[in-house]
Amino acid sequence: MNVHTADVLTAEEGLAAIQAQADKFDSDDATDLALQNTLLTPRFYTTDFDELDAIDVSSVREDWDKLLGQMRSDPNKGHFKKNEDWDAIDWEGMDPALKLEFLDFLVSSCTAEFSGCVLYKEMKRRGTNKDICELFAFMSRDEARHAGFINDALREAGVSVNLGFLTKKKKYTYFRPKFIYYATYLSEKIGYARYITIFRHLEANPEHRFHPIFKWFKEWCNDEFSHGEAFALLMRTDPKLTESWNNRLWIKFFLTAVYSTMWVRDHARPAFHEALGVDVEWYDQEVFKKTSTISRQVFPLELDIDHPRWKPTLRRLEKAMSDGEKAAKTGGPAGMIGKAWANLRGAAAFVSLLTIPSKPNTPPENVRLEPAY
Amino acid sequence: MGLLTRKIETAPCTVEVSHRFEELSAHVRFDNGAVVFPGDEVKVHGSPVMAPYGEVVVEHRTATIVRASALERLWTRLTGDFEFMELCEFSFSEEVTL
Repeated sequence: MNVHTADVLTAEEGLAAIQAQADKFDSDDATDLALQNTLLTPRFYTTDFDELDAIDVSSVREDWDKLLGQMRSDPNKGHFKKNEDWDAIDWEGMDPALKLEFLDFLVSSCTAEFSGCVLYKEMKRRGTNKDICELFAFMSRDEARHAGFINDALREAGVSVNLGFLTKKKKYTYFRPKFIYYATYLSEKIGYARYITIFRHLEANPEHRFHPIFKWFKEWCNDEFSHGEAFALLMRTDPKLTESWNNRLWIKFFLTAVYSTMWVRDHARPAFHEALGVDVEWYDQEVFKKTSTISRQVFPLELDIDHPRWKPTLRRLEKAMSDGEKAAKTGGPAGMIGKAWANLRGAAAFVSLLTIPSKPNTPPENVRLEPAY
Repeated sequence: MGLLTRKIETAPCTVEVSHRFEELSAHVRFDNGAVVFPGDEVKVHGSPVMAPYGEVVVEHRTATIVRASALERLWTRLTGDFEFMELCEFSFSEEVTL
């Protein structure tokens, strides 16, 4: 999991300070004393900032200015506020399995928004290219806003996030800019597809809406959508990024890795999906379908998610992953062998997914899309 | 920067933590213009910078930057890409079971 409770902090003075401050700050609110302390652990990255600075958006200038103008006008500024639609939630009475998975959902989402905020802000700060800096400033703003909104929902549930991670040692890893484009583009678009699919489903089946946060998903995912649009435009400024032979391979690898990871993780959260009243396989295929359709705007290929081998292989991958987890928990030599065998089966399934021929695509002349689902 | 040796330097920095409903964020800025490179490690000195809910806290601190050796930097550049899944958001943590 992405989080650690404060008790793993080794610096004792840090721990004492947290406690002292927490007592001081929360003493006015008795319920806060019971808050479970969750240390956010975002990752830190660097990239080739010179390459980022060298981006020239003049080939997509018209679309760029329009998109940035829209981001500047900040249409969602007033959206992330709690109003009468925010129903009270009985956290105490929630089924413990659902509560565990839903909190994992909230904490992971908060960490992801938070990491995005840190990454985008760093890119804005290190860059000198005006277009690029402006874009990253807007995206950082949106992510910090989303994180704040989720944080509030977490506080209601008795979980307080701890931002003390800055005083822990952090190692900076490195991504080439193109990896950031592929990964964040896909992440933003898949995020849109996930949120809008849940939103539309709950619109039709409101009795399954077990928490009010889902009511905010529509405008929320429009932010994700426009962030994805910005990365689509960035990729258009350099055709090599999506057209060269080795980059096509990277894109296929990315799509396969991201889709299969999503499948495995969603299947490991049965209570969450059952409460929403969605069949996980249906939901994931629906998200893949939307993401594939959207990503035709920029990617030269799409995965064949209707191929006869697609779903059976994903099921095998998922089974291997959960067997591996069980074996690891068993421990001992039998556990180790079981884990190794499961890893091998998982790797074989992944390779099998990679060998499913992809469907070629010629991205349209006009790259821009509007949210349509 | 040596091939195998790490250099340690300190830099004054500004830590800004926003713990508000409208914005949850935390950033470190080096006041002397120091720049972090692949593989470097950064640690801000002192107790965690904690902002009470609803507030923004700005503090001036000192940070230690452990510069990666040339070899480590190269290694981080070559292998960092493979951690790309970190950049992807899946709504759930990587635990297979909770």
